[in-house]
Amino acid sequence: MTIEPSDPPAPASPSAPSASLSATEPASRLEIMAAVLANELRDGEILQIGAAMPVPEVAVRLAQFTHGPNIELIFIGARMNAAHLHSLPTPEFGWDHRVVRWAESYSDTGHRFDRLKDWHRRVFFIGGVQVDRHGNTNLIGVGDDHSRLRFRGPGSVGTSTLSTHVGRYYIVLNAHTARTFVERCDYVSAFGWGDGDPEARRRLGLPGGGPKLCVTPLCVMDFTADTKHLRLRSVHPGVTVDDVQANTGFDLIVPDAVPTTPQPTDDELRIIRTRADQRGALRG
Amino acid sequence: MTSAAQRQQRIIDEAEAAGWIEDGMTIAVGDPAPMAVLRQLIRRGVTGLTVIGSGLALDLLIAAGCVERTMAYYVGGGFGGAVAPSFRRAAESGQIEVWECEEGVLTAGLRAGAQGLPFLPWRGGVGTSLPEVNPDLQLIQDPVKGETLIAVPAIEPDVAILHAATADAYGNVRHHGGPGWLDLFLYRAADRTIVQVEQVVANTDVRADPWATTIAGVDAVVRAPYGAHPFYSRGYYVQDKSFTKAYVDAASRAAFDDDRSALAAWLERYCVEPESHGDYLERVGVKRLISLYEY
Repeated sequence: MTIEPSDPPAPASPSAPSASLSATEPASRLEIMAAVLANELRDGEILQIGAAMPVPEVAVRLAQFTHGPNIELIFIGARMNAAHLHSLPTPEFGWDHRVVRWAESYSDTGHRFDRLKDWHRRVFFIGGVQVDRHGNTNLIGVGDDHSRLRFRGPGSVGTSTLSTHVGRYYIVLNAHTARTFVERCDYVSAFGWGDGDPEARRRLGLPGGGPKLCVTPLCVMDFTADTKHLRLRSVHPGVTVDDVQANTGFDLIVPDAVPTTPQPTDDELRIIRTRADQRGALRG
Repeated sequence: MTSAAQRQQRIIDEAEAAGWIEDGMTIAVGDPAPMAVLRQLIRRGVTGLTVIGSGLALDLLIAAGCVERTMAYYVGGGFGGAVAPSFRRAAESGQIEVWECEEGVLTAGLRAGAQGLPFLPWRGGVGTSLPEVNPDLQLIQDPVKGETLIAVPAIEPDVAILHAATADAYGNVRHHGGPGWLDLFLYRAADRTIVQVEQVVANTDVRADPWATTIAGVDAVVRAPYGAHPFYSRGYYVQDKSFTKAYVDAASRAAFDDDRSALAAWLERYCVEPESHGDYLERVGVKRLISLYEY
């Protein structure tokens, strides 16, 4: 891997603490999440990430450094590849437009939707104020009366369109609580699997492949094939199945044996801490 | 040259530009944010606006009481808060109406507005709650293939207000590195467009490279170096993080702790008291502005 001596300095403020080079500290839960997602990504895929998603940001960089040198990252509109660089800084806040310095091309909001026909090749990461058992997500808000919500969410961003068209997507949350994982979303801004019919997306004419995994600080979940119901796939080190269920507002499908989520390898952890997440956003 | 015919120059100042906006109008706010003109709207106490916009610039207009209705796909908080404080509070209390939408949906509506069509179809959002919470979005069966799509009605702002890199006196605009976000879509859909710029350039510069003109012949040009402060301007300066955070903190106290004093003082100091953009920049201070001058 070449290190380009001409890399511009990272836009992170000079006073930011430099990440420790040692990988002796065990992986944080967010670092574990990033490694899980990185291992989901295949070389050559095109990934879309929106604002304020530090775990996917690091996951994509990790994948580019380990096994996906041809993965293209599109952060908001900035298309970037870190594989031939020593590192690529993560955004410091919401839409930190300084990342455009690292981009090879840039496309604006409206224009990004001008060509959707090959979006089955794209992968996307989505968050939510609420997530239900069938992977429908809500960024609109919480409360019965839409004109006076109890909690007003940020809005759907581009998630209705992205979730409709991308080949697959990952639901990634920074917290796992029973308030987030609900029986039924008060509002749906991105259609996952509707009421759980595996044909639901096809019947609605949604060309994309739908949500594949849900990754949280407690566990990794996938969907059952026949009912598209969230199913526990693994729990992170130190987390029990009961912990997950107690923080989930509906009954998860729990297989007889639930393995522990694999820890990042030493190599992965070293790359995360020295190159993919130099700012230490996932160190907690 | 003694000809009586004079080509009209379109440079006006930020106060005159803000005067184009009347109570109750629909305005479209571009990104980078045209703050010099928006601060004048606040200063004048314009009310009842429907605003197509996003983020903290929209939040500031709400905090100042200018907004009746938002057409926004994302009003994020920026500093750990998932939602911008004034937007969140105003939506929860019913003070503003939220025209619920999404990036693709909004873009389809702007395209329809630009093209004189009653609506344009869009697929993103089929199966979601968007058509339920926004009755303007109707589910239709397309007559060609019989697919279910959303008919997004035309959106036609009265005025689009944008911030770009340069323009000449005749309204030939250049965006540094291409037009920002939805800027072109807002311009095409709007009845009139005001563009504030970092620098006014000579018409000869424009003619030297006409391919670089991103919007031709906008209705007004406003001279506004640092006119997007405290936000970024592509190719000129970065977002003023601590300044922006001070606003978010003050707006959060007003929204959630029922203490409007800090927000009122902030609005007074930065939006009401400065009579002009120049007064605002003096108040912000040269040293702070220089520290942001990088790209």
